[in-house]
Amino acid sequence: MNGRATLQPWQEIRRMQREVERLFSGLAPAWRWPLTGEYPPINLTRDENGLTLSALCPGANRETLDVTVLENAVTVRCERKPEENVPEAAYHRRERPVGTFARSLNLGERFDPERTEAVYQNGILRVQLGRGSEPAPKKIAIQS
Amino acid sequence: MTTLTRTGTTMPATRRDERYAPAHTLAPPVDVYETDEMYVLLADMPGVQPDGLDVIAERDSLTIRGRVERPAAEPDYQEFELSDYYRAFTLSEDLESDKVTAVLRDGVLRVEIPKSPRVKPKKIAVRTE
Repeated sequence: MNGRATLQPWQEIRRMQREVERLFSGLAPAWRWPLTGEYPPINLTRDENGLTLSALCPGANRETLDVTVLENAVTVRCERKPEENVPEAAYHRRERPVGTFARSLNLGERFDPERTEAVYQNGILRVQLGRGSEPAPKKIAIQS
Repeated sequence: MTTLTRTGTTMPATRRDERYAPAHTLAPPVDVYETDEMYVLLADMPGVQPDGLDVIAERDSLTIRGRVERPAAEPDYQEFELSDYYRAFTLSEDLESDKVTAVLRDGVLRVEIPKSPRVKPKKIAVRTE
């Protein structure tokens, strides 16, 4: 089954959600990504070489940024720490999410962990996943 | 009866009179906290490079604006859309808007707005009698 086909309904729901958020953008300060209930938000782009995963996680602690590829699944972990030595009472406004976040996605096909590269730049984590070589088809003899 | 008031309970850096740009820009989420010396504003602006960032401090306002480069290809699965950022704040007169500093690191903008010396806490020596 084509992995892309299985993801399409969600994409349509997200698109509608973004449209609604845009309609209300003049009324309230926006931090709309967590409205999906998932952090960090992720985009996937496929091409002939493989798949690119982009995750928005500005200000992530680099030591705790983590990408794991296991068979069809990829897991992204990031941690956003609050400012050190700032008492709660000193804050006038707190809109930025803090804590440890993890997302696991089923990509619908296998990727080769050896051909995976990750770059963190300008607060965006980009993971390039390369396809592994397909195992040769094996003919099964039918026993009578 | 004595009324106790803590200095800085009103927030000079933000609150009223925030202005938001029209659609297709995102107001970045911010944290604002206060120390004895300054106000610190942190804004999440992923995708913005230093040359795409404008921080404009005027006598009574602070405006942050960030431009992003959108990817050429439409994603096959999408949870976020990179948009330009815009947000404006009103500054009170007891801040030194000409000494504002800004640093952008890993998609987080950090703006420091020093307090005017006359509103900084001053330690009063207590005489014993």
